[in-house]
Amino acid sequence: MIAYAVTILFLLLAAPLLTGVIKSLKMVLLYKRPVSVFQGYRTFSKLLVKETMLSAESSQITRVAPYLVLSPLLVALLFLPPAVSGAWYVSFVDAFTLTGLLSLSTFFLMLLGLDSASSFGGMGSSREAFIAAMVEPAMVLTVFSVSMMAGDLGVGAAGVNLAHRFPAGHTASFVFAAISFFILLIAENGRIPVDNPETHLELTMVHESMILDLSGFYLALIETAASVKFVIFASLFASLFMPFGLELPLLAAFGVFALKLLLIALAVALIEVNTAKLRLFKVPNLLGIAIVFSFLSLITFYVLGA
Amino acid sequence: MSAFLTGAFLATLVAALFATRLYRLLMWYALNSLALGLLALLIGSGLNDPALIISGVLTLLLKAGVIPLVLKRLTQRFALTRQVTPDIKVHYAVVLIPAILVFTFYLAEPIGRMVGGNANSVAVAISSLFLALLLMMEHRNVAPKIIGFLMMENALFLLGTTATGGMPMLVELGIFFDLLIAIVVINLLFRREEAVE
Amino acid sequence: MILFELIAPIVVMFALSFLHADRVRALLALSAFAIMLPAVQLLLQDKPFPLLGDYLIADRLNTYVLLLASVVGAGVALALMTLQRHVQVHPRAYFRFYRFFALFWVGLEMAILSNHMGLYWIGLEMATLSTVYMIKTNATRAAHKEAWNYMIVGAIAISLILFGIILIYAGAKPVLGEEAMYFTALLGAADRIPSPFLFEMGFAIVTVGMFVKMGFFPMNLWLANVERASFYPVAALFSGILESAIMVGFFRFSDVAKIVNFSHLAGFIFVYALLTMFVVAFLIYRAKDFMRLFSLSGIEHMALIALFWTSGGTFAALLHFGAHAFIKPALFLSTGVLESQGRYHIAGALRGYRGLKGKLFWFVVGLLMLAIVSLPPSPMFFSELYGFGSMIALAKSGHHLPAMIAAIVLLLFLLSIIFYRFVELYQSMKYEGEAVEKRVYGSELAALLLFAVGALALLLPFSLAFLRSIA
Repeated sequence: MIAYAVTILFLLLAAPLLTGVIKSLKMVLLYKRPVSVFQGYRTFSKLLVKETMLSAESSQITRVAPYLVLSPLLVALLFLPPAVSGAWYVSFVDAFTLTGLLSLSTFFLMLLGLDSASSFGGMGSSREAFIAAMVEPAMVLTVFSVSMMAGDLGVGAAGVNLAHRFPAGHTASFVFAAISFFILLIAENGRIPVDNPETHLELTMVHESMILDLSGFYLALIETAASVKFVIFASLFASLFMPFGLELPLLAAFGVFALKLLLIALAVALIEVNTAKLRLFKVPNLLGIAIVFSFLSLITFYVLGA
Repeated sequence: MSAFLTGAFLATLVAALFATRLYRLLMWYALNSLALGLLALLIGSGLNDPALIISGVLTLLLKAGVIPLVLKRLTQRFALTRQVTPDIKVHYAVVLIPAILVFTFYLAEPIGRMVGGNANSVAVAISSLFLALLLMMEHRNVAPKIIGFLMMENALFLLGTTATGGMPMLVELGIFFDLLIAIVVINLLFRREEAVE
Repeated sequence: MILFELIAPIVVMFALSFLHADRVRALLALSAFAIMLPAVQLLLQDKPFPLLGDYLIADRLNTYVLLLASVVGAGVALALMTLQRHVQVHPRAYFRFYRFFALFWVGLEMAILSNHMGLYWIGLEMATLSTVYMIKTNATRAAHKEAWNYMIVGAIAISLILFGIILIYAGAKPVLGEEAMYFTALLGAADRIPSPFLFEMGFAIVTVGMFVKMGFFPMNLWLANVERASFYPVAALFSGILESAIMVGFFRFSDVAKIVNFSHLAGFIFVYALLTMFVVAFLIYRAKDFMRLFSLSGIEHMALIALFWTSGGTFAALLHFGAHAFIKPALFLSTGVLESQGRYHIAGALRGYRGLKGKLFWFVVGLLMLAIVSLPPSPMFFSELYGFGSMIALAKSGHHLPAMIAAIVLLLFLLSIIFYRFVELYQSMKYEGEAVEKRVYGSELAALLLFAVGALALLLPFSLAFLRSIA
């Protein structure tokens, strides 16, 4: 019970830190003077005290949607596989539930973008829909395939099973699923080959254009939602595709888990520095690879048993 | 380990199907050959078969090193188009490739059962044969077609290695020799292209 | 010793091609002639004659094919001497052509004489790759495109053949070990192969690869276009030699397949060959130029040979094979003169010849045109009679007589379409159009006469007896 609560709290608190780490790592790699890794917390507290302005055209949706963007993610946070052994986990949540929760959040984000009635918002929403349509099938297939390998459809149980008894006979399909999931991690969180989280150029942005009209408390909610989403993906990747270190003593296990998250952050930062952003209509190529690999993983697992 | 390398072999081929740049395609080919060579070395050392080890080393040297570099040189010398967009759109490829995989995996099932060796590698080899064909079909330019042909050669090598536990040495060397002739002929064809224009 | 004699002319040809001197041209042709010598020598040896351990074994079948190929090679070399008087060819390209001709011969000798599936494949691949450049000797855009086309499709076909060979090898390895690569060992152990499915799968894939390479059903126009774009001697090499080498492989593989499961083999080949015949007959009816016409008719004859061989008519198949190997290259070589007015001038192609050479030329070409559609003095007439006879005999021993009769009726119908087309063309060539003067050179006439004499020599009693002894 305590381990479970502590994990959730830890993830929630670490979320802004993780995005901050990526940002400062990138700046170091680009020979810039890095911002503090705690910048996320500062922005959050600053936004809380700022005035909240709403555009005249916006309807009730703008007032409700930020909560609805964040809350499915918070629910999903509760369903993640455990980070340490002995912690609780929810056993009935499978690939579809998890993907559904994430898509629900994306859906309200798109509504939010449309509601501001600015041309940017609509454009961002349509782009987000374009990407999300290709992300979802791949996400379902990948998580499903991994949980099949682990022998339990529940994501939480799958994480535990993988750590206890790694399916060495299924390395090939496991690797395929890992490749697919990593691409999804990048695409869903608006990272560089798909979307650039730092610019405000109309040609490039997806996520930023949807929240361009928000300010104050609502913006703080959305920013938190973005970092929570990243931490959900990162911890899913850590517990499903790096299944080790669960048996260690409590503190060591926590440390290993945190290290895994940092490692993922490092990988994302390296990719962001080394690649250029794809043109929007090239994004399906990348996501196509993700879908094919998730299929491949499932087929390899079922037909070949490898 | 061998499962991982076989998986990497297939993964690089699938990635090559989505590549839109020639150099990227060459890189995937080199990685594909790398996985193949390492796999041959692994199986060869497992079977204690010097012939297989020699051909594994040759694969690493020739297919993962020399041939991609030579093709790159040719591309530069004859100023080939380096932007090679597949004719099959991604939306269709996303459906087509898994369909081919399912089809070939089921097709390969009885073959793999009879071969008795590593049934999975046989299935992967046969499906990569079809995927390499798709790579040849989905491009209009010549250079990606050549890479498709080379990938096909790789798939056949994988089939020969895993289905039969290594072909006789003579055949392996002959195949390598023919590959070199193919490169010479390709070079000549490109060179004459200059004369025609 | 014979092995040395087989290789020496090729090495000489390869070396001479680097000299780039006009005086060498006759020597190059001579070296092509020199290959006939070991071929004849092999014919006189006791069979089977091991040339190189178990790898290269000369038996009656491949000695016969090698002899045919060497005669065709010599004839083509003769015609090459006057190539540049009919078409524009760069001197350097001419010599490079011979360089690849030498490589081509290496591959062919390996493929024809090999008793080893792997060596057979290596030889075939080498021959295929070297022809790619020979197509390219013609410095036009079309030839360039078709050379790439040939390279790509040929590579796919060749890869299919290797794929099948690997499956066959994998199927037979449990009982034979590394010996499973030898045709003789495979033939001896054909009834003991543990997984016939694997063998049949491999055989089917090998056959499809070979048929694609010979221009069977889906690829008919591919081959015709390739031959159209290349110089006529290259087309002659294709039809006379390269297809022979592929056919030898088909004979060897199908021998094993006959023992493994005859009914599957027969069904597969009959359906495939009839389908090809059906398509090709109508394509021939629509053909508007000589090269495509002859190339399509080559596909038709290859389908017939495959049918006869599968039906057990070994003698008929080999006689047909020999006749085609002589007559078709001769026709291809004659297109150099026939098309001297341009590609689509069929009417009047046989008119306007003067002097003894010219008269002899049109007489021989006219005879060959009629011989290729099996008018009686042609060996093809007899081979088709024997072939249909063997098909009936096959059906009598089984339970498929009505089906076989239907197949034969269909075949005769398709053959009559082709026959009608050729006779019509012959009449148009001889009696229509204007008589524009055309020049015939001695070397071409010599090549044509060589082929005509070769085709007639097939009908001599001792050559017929030799063919019968192959079965």
